[in-house]
Amino acid sequence: MRSQKTSVVKSFASICLFAAAGVAFAGTNAAKPAPGKWAGDFGPPQGAPIHAVLTSPPHVPPPTNRSYPAKVIVDLEVVEKEMPISEGVSYTFWTFGGTVPGSFIRVRQGDTVEFHLKNHPKNKMPHNIDLHGVTGPGGGAASSFTAPGHETQFTFKALNEGIYVYHCATAPVGMHVANGMYGLILVEPPKGLSKVDHEYYVMQGDFYTTGKYREKGLQPFDMEKAIDERPTYVLFNGAEGALTGDKAIAAKTNETVRLFVGNGGPNMVSSFHVIGAIFDKVRFEGGTEVQSNVQTTLIPAGGAAVVEFSTKVPGSYVLVDHSIFRAFNKGALAILKVNGPQDKAVYSGKELDAVYLGDRAQPNLEAVATATQAAAQGTLTLQDQVHAGQALFAGTCSVCHQSNGAGLPGVFPPLAGSDYLAADPSRAIGVLLQGLNGKVTVNGSEYNSVMPPMNQLNDDEVANILTYVLNSWGNPGGQIHTEDVRKVRAEKKPAPAQGEH
Amino acid sequence: MKTEHAASRGLARVHRAVMPALFAICAVLAVAGPAGAAPDAASPATASPLPGDSIYQLPVPLTDQTGRSFMLADRRGTPLVISMFYTSCQFTCPMLLEAVRATEMQLSMAQRNHVNVLLVSFDPAHDTVAVLARTAGERKVDDTRWSLARTDPVSVRKLAAVLGIQYRALGNGDFNHTTTLVLVDAQGRIVGRTNEMGGADPKFVKLLRGMTAAL
Amino acid sequence: MDAPRWSRRLLAAAGLCLSMAAGTANAGDYVSLPGGSFASVIANDASGRLASVEAFEMRVTPVTQEEFERFVERQPQWRRDRIASVLADAGYLSDWASPTQGPVGESPHRPVTHVSWFAAQAFCESEGARLPSWSEWEYAAAADETRRDARADPQWRSRILSWYSRPSTQPLRAVGAAPNVYGLRDMHALVWEWVDDFNALLVDADSRSGDDPDKLKFCGAGAINLQQRENYAVLMRVALLSSLRASDSTASLGFRCVRPIESQTREAP
Repeated sequence: MRSQKTSVVKSFASICLFAAAGVAFAGTNAAKPAPGKWAGDFGPPQGAPIHAVLTSPPHVPPPTNRSYPAKVIVDLEVVEKEMPISEGVSYTFWTFGGTVPGSFIRVRQGDTVEFHLKNHPKNKMPHNIDLHGVTGPGGGAASSFTAPGHETQFTFKALNEGIYVYHCATAPVGMHVANGMYGLILVEPPKGLSKVDHEYYVMQGDFYTTGKYREKGLQPFDMEKAIDERPTYVLFNGAEGALTGDKAIAAKTNETVRLFVGNGGPNMVSSFHVIGAIFDKVRFEGGTEVQSNVQTTLIPAGGAAVVEFSTKVPGSYVLVDHSIFRAFNKGALAILKVNGPQDKAVYSGKELDAVYLGDRAQPNLEAVATATQAAAQGTLTLQDQVHAGQALFAGTCSVCHQSNGAGLPGVFPPLAGSDYLAADPSRAIGVLLQGLNGKVTVNGSEYNSVMPPMNQLNDDEVANILTYVLNSWGNPGGQIHTEDVRKVRAEKKPAPAQGEH
Repeated sequence: MKTEHAASRGLARVHRAVMPALFAICAVLAVAGPAGAAPDAASPATASPLPGDSIYQLPVPLTDQTGRSFMLADRRGTPLVISMFYTSCQFTCPMLLEAVRATEMQLSMAQRNHVNVLLVSFDPAHDTVAVLARTAGERKVDDTRWSLARTDPVSVRKLAAVLGIQYRALGNGDFNHTTTLVLVDAQGRIVGRTNEMGGADPKFVKLLRGMTAAL
Repeated sequence: MDAPRWSRRLLAAAGLCLSMAAGTANAGDYVSLPGGSFASVIANDASGRLASVEAFEMRVTPVTQEEFERFVERQPQWRRDRIASVLADAGYLSDWASPTQGPVGESPHRPVTHVSWFAAQAFCESEGARLPSWSEWEYAAAADETRRDARADPQWRSRILSWYSRPSTQPLRAVGAAPNVYGLRDMHALVWEWVDDFNALLVDADSRSGDDPDKLKFCGAGAINLQQRENYAVLMRVALLSSLRASDSTASLGFRCVRPIESQTREAP
């Protein structure tokens, strides 16, 4: 707690304290090159001290490419800052290195790490750091308790290789972790990790705000919810949309991807799954053993795993916590965008992202927002409706009717150039609101499926979607208005209608 | 203090005479209103100025087991091993004394004579001069170089703060406190500390030797 | 007490000096608090006995920039360019425009921060007062507008916690928020505050060790266990104070003074 400060004179004192605490590994001024008595101790550091390259998520520092133990200096700064946690929602995060999760640290087994923890003077709180890869009291927490406007230093030897979580351990620990104070440190095995095309850094965390999910404004931390383990958000890399849209992580087909996946908690265990991929190799729990052919792997709170897979076909691969309501109702969703030529033999090529982005696709909401605004102002144009409808169609209708309106022969009727639609465009309102089952004939083919009522759509959305459909793929055009939809909704009861013809 | 320079002994006397006068001046100035700088009452008048990071910047009046009264700054001029304790402490305080003794044993006679030891009590209410004297006798303390001393409660808190020693009264006469030996150079700068109470800390001894070698 | 004669004289002279200083300077407004027992987050020992405080008077607000400027004028040895580094480190009054003048463009009634514990002590002594003990501060801070002890109320806790979630990028506002039931203002939501025994909180730097006291490090009962771990609002204060040394200062740390009830009679006209 009363950490010994880092003046040259007082670094002696910090070594004293460290020695007194009973950690035998901190001696950097050991005798000549014999390896130490602990496994993983390859002797004293050699060569000039190295300043560690730290990266912000989702990037990972390059491999150390070293064959000898070195002294590595890590400079990490704690910054308390307000950042967006979701669209229109902000939160005061406490961060290592300005990001959630904090900077990624990469060292080699046997390295002597001289850790400098700085607490920015504008911060209110004291902070420290517990690195799960440190053998020593508190993982360093005891020696790094730092007041705002101060810096502390401690040194440890990275004896164990692996991927480890680090986090702040200042009272109240739960709150510091809940505010985003965690990250990963990779201790490479002596021969390094096998080569892959891409390495990425993803970390899940749960967040607790007094406001509801997506309630706008600066949201404070809610301690009661944290104690009751009822998160408001479960997120990858600290924000909704941190890894979607143009911030999605990327790869090409026929490449190998390695994800260092951590779970800062504070409370939730993650059922980590990448939709559309199977993990070729999983270092489950981040340990040494490797499991193959895994669909979903558990990552404990305060733990990490390393997953590897190769990309075979293009598309958007969605990283989720497969406790599925967290993915769709709390934000635990990230995208790996894979570009490249199709391989129809492996996968026939349906668009994957339509299914999972649902009606919550961040980048697409703009068109909908524009239309909503215009409608409120009374300036809604056909074009607005078409654009909004297109965005909504992609999440809702394209699943079955395809994004080009082609439908599925024998199963789902086409919308493109549909004579059914052309005969009576406004009939489609009832189809959306009440569903349609029983026989219908469209463009000369018979269909006998069940279309469920689209209960999740409101009047605006129905109007926009239908307007888009009517103005696409050779359909006759026209416009459906919100009032039309409202009338139909009011008239008919929500009972499954017979297929009319 | 066999090894105290004559100059600093004389200094102590001057200091004691001057202090009340200085405070009186301070009072006058306070009435007169803000004017120039009040004299820095903490630093004794020596040839070289007292370093800013010297513990002797803090005025602490002390009385030791022999009834001698002095200011903390009177210890300037000689390396000092300083710590805090209380006489009714059953657990680590006896270990603290033994640790100091063990440390001294690692020095030569000549080196030992160039180091002073000052142990200040957390508990001035109970640790009167008589009690301190009794403790010194029981523990066979060398009165010429070791001072077991007391001061007022406000100064106890300030001294602990400047030394980085933590303590808390538990209400039953016991104290919860850290045990640290602090090594201070001739100018009062803290140059080392140790929490090892099981015997002499080799690093601490090394520092001490380094400081007494030059004398 | 068998203090030697000369030191008694010294103390008397000091007392004279202080009381005159108190008389000439504008000592801040104080209110009285009754004594009592209460459950502290810091247990004295394993017995679970309640902590208790005697009646005392406490400053209504934290000490302001303006008041500290006047103090530094009267006692220039406490200017940032004159003070010894052992008593105040490089951060001391670092946001002031000059050694005698506070920050430009900010309210003179905002709490003074960037002050070390020694400086805060000296200010309080200059008005015949002292820093509060942790117990006195905790006791006074447990109150809200209507109750003496609001700490069990989750609303109270979350109001306080919401201050912690606001980053300190804006300048501090002036003192004078709504008073609590004792008449004290700004006990929360403005600045951290020094206490006299800040270094006695003996919280292990790694606060998870719980019931595993390292006996060799702490004589007595070992590092104190914190009680009421769900009372984050108070725990954060303890954590902050435990991370500091007496010569430290931070941008969010100020102070206020307390004095014994009888001191009212000492004020000179």
